[in-house]
Amino acid sequence: MRRGLLWLGALLLLGGCASSRPIDEIQIIQQMGYDFENGRYTGTAVYPTFKQGPMTKPNMLTTTSPTVYDLIPRLSSKSALPVEEGQLRLILFGKEFARRGVTQITHSLARNNKVGSHLLLGVAEESAKELLKTAANTTLSDTLYLPNLVEQNEQSMNLPKTNLHLFLYRYFSPGSDPFLPYFEKKGDFVKLEGVALFRDDRYVGHVSLRDSFLMKILLGETKNGVYQLKVGNRGKQGEDRVMLQNLWAKSKYEWKRDGSRHVLDVFVHIHASVRDYPSWLDHSGQDLFADVKKKMQNELEHNMRRLFRYFQKKRIDPLGIGDFVRSVTRHWDSDAFYREYPDLDIRPHVTVDIVHTGIGE
Amino acid sequence: MKQAIQERFLISPFLVFFVIHATQVGIGVLNFQRPLMKEVGQDAWMAVLMAGLSAHVLIWLMYRLLSHSPSGGDLVSLHEQYFGRWIGGVLSLGLLFYYALAAFMVLQSYIEIIKVWVFPLMGAWQFSLMFLLMTYYVVSGGFRVVVGLCVWGVVTPLLTIFPMVFFPLEYAQYRNLLPVFDHSFGQLAKASKEMVLQYLGFEMLLMYYPFLKQAPSSQKWAHAANAFTMFIYFVLILISIVFYNKEQIQHITWPTLTLAKIPEVPFIERMEYIVISIYVLVVFPIIAVSIWAATRVIKQLFAVQQRRSLPVLLACLFVGGMFFQEKTHIEQLTEWTAKAGFYLVAVYVPLLYLYVWTAEKVKKALQQKP
Repeated sequence: MRRGLLWLGALLLLGGCASSRPIDEIQIIQQMGYDFENGRYTGTAVYPTFKQGPMTKPNMLTTTSPTVYDLIPRLSSKSALPVEEGQLRLILFGKEFARRGVTQITHSLARNNKVGSHLLLGVAEESAKELLKTAANTTLSDTLYLPNLVEQNEQSMNLPKTNLHLFLYRYFSPGSDPFLPYFEKKGDFVKLEGVALFRDDRYVGHVSLRDSFLMKILLGETKNGVYQLKVGNRGKQGEDRVMLQNLWAKSKYEWKRDGSRHVLDVFVHIHASVRDYPSWLDHSGQDLFADVKKKMQNELEHNMRRLFRYFQKKRIDPLGIGDFVRSVTRHWDSDAFYREYPDLDIRPHVTVDIVHTGIGE
Repeated sequence: MKQAIQERFLISPFLVFFVIHATQVGIGVLNFQRPLMKEVGQDAWMAVLMAGLSAHVLIWLMYRLLSHSPSGGDLVSLHEQYFGRWIGGVLSLGLLFYYALAAFMVLQSYIEIIKVWVFPLMGAWQFSLMFLLMTYYVVSGGFRVVVGLCVWGVVTPLLTIFPMVFFPLEYAQYRNLLPVFDHSFGQLAKASKEMVLQYLGFEMLLMYYPFLKQAPSSQKWAHAANAFTMFIYFVLILISIVFYNKEQIQHITWPTLTLAKIPEVPFIERMEYIVISIYVLVVFPIIAVSIWAATRVIKQLFAVQQRRSLPVLLACLFVGGMFFQEKTHIEQLTEWTAKAGFYLVAVYVPLLYLYVWTAEKVKKALQQKP
């Protein structure tokens, strides 16, 4: 009996040795870029090399291939250590690549048990390779610069939340289209420029970071984001704008039938603090602030209408309006809905409550 | 009538709760959402409840059958009493095959998950050897040891895995639940039939019933176990409906494991590996109970000691595992087992009950006449 237990113990212990991959004997890819140039695909992998202490240096591997799938195997042929994608944090698509569709990559990611659901995706204005190179050059020690940039902006600024799970959710849903962060190279720096919009899996356009504030609220995310609004006509630059910071927002949709057409009412209630406002507002008392509030609401409504029209013209639905209509319609027919979608009457109604204006008067 | 089992081998009635719950919740929990949501989308939770209620009825029927049959024993002695040695023996042999198949299916499915997620390079036989050795150790300890394993197989996953399924609510789209009742009754019935398979596991009761102290009083615990299983499935389907949409879930092989990709803790990035490891404790009791039940059938049928038949049975499973390597084979195996289990529990047991009931009535009438 004792000998049997010994055998069993040895078997269990040795079973763990099946395949071990020590951390310093693999090449951990943290970011990956995909481009399409001159009929060939280019893959760029960014991996950290660990120097003394916590210092890491981002390094790059690049390879080209006529197909997408063998980019990672081809990267291996340039790497001394086995390439592992388990720590991938960001995948960047070049604009040209994104225009041709990203399904191949996202489906393969959805099947890959090694990558997590929190993986970030993004679109680069030109080539993903150049952008990754720029990011690697400007940040000498931080290999996670781009993923951190996205996460920071999602948590405290205007960018709506995105990741692999949300991308796949919106991609597969018959009632919505996916979107991703959109980056641009500005000189030697990388800048987050807004939100890249997709129809199914193809890139079709983007909106600015300012408009993505509206998207964020309309998507039902309740907190954070800043928005600059014009409230007066005082001519001088900057003297007629207020800076709004969203503290808590709520959006509500209502789907109605108006004669032969459908109407979508969108109610948005923003509890905001005014961060910065022109000096002339200080002297004019409470009444003028109410007037400014009215102007803000009008301008927000105007901008939302513009955003809706843009989506309708492009025939895309990043806000998931189809999903909402499905939830209030029996036997929802997605084809019929999207035939009607471009001419749908969408009416935003915005209420702004100014909670406070800071600690100074 | 065979002699009664000694009291030191019996278990308390409330332990039935753990045995039934442990055998009900198995591999199916990881992907039961897919066929359901394909059929009825956001109304899948109704199918879960309907199937759970029908499982209650089936458990009730099973208790009626076992407690009202005069033999007071298990299904094998019941077969022998009503169908004689030969026909009854053939029926019991069928039961034996079903139990062995159930154990085999669970083992192969779990090995497949291990191979896909954790150790892609490991051969199936290494893992199945370890697993079967452990099963030998547990089952040779007797039924009480198997029940002890079931207790841990319920408590540990409940405390570790179950809390994890709530993390995905961060991404919940509650409007996915609307509109309620958007599917026809026919579709719901079809989905419920599919779902009843996930409640299977209580059919092991047919063999361990004589091992329960004051067996009829354990019925409430069996129903409690089924209700608890229903609760777990209900929570999981609700979370899956709000987390995935109907199309997306069709592209995910194990939706419950993918749910476990969401929690993030600083010291371990990917919780699904932890879930898969702890899942051994979910899978192991099922294998142990069904192997135990199979050897029990052999003992009752051929008077072979369980200690003797156990290694032979395990060896058969081990050799059989060599032939099941491909995913499609395992899927087919699962389908067969599910079908067999469904016909056993939902068709055979009610018919048998009807037969026994009529036979008793007739017997009574005949006795009163002369």
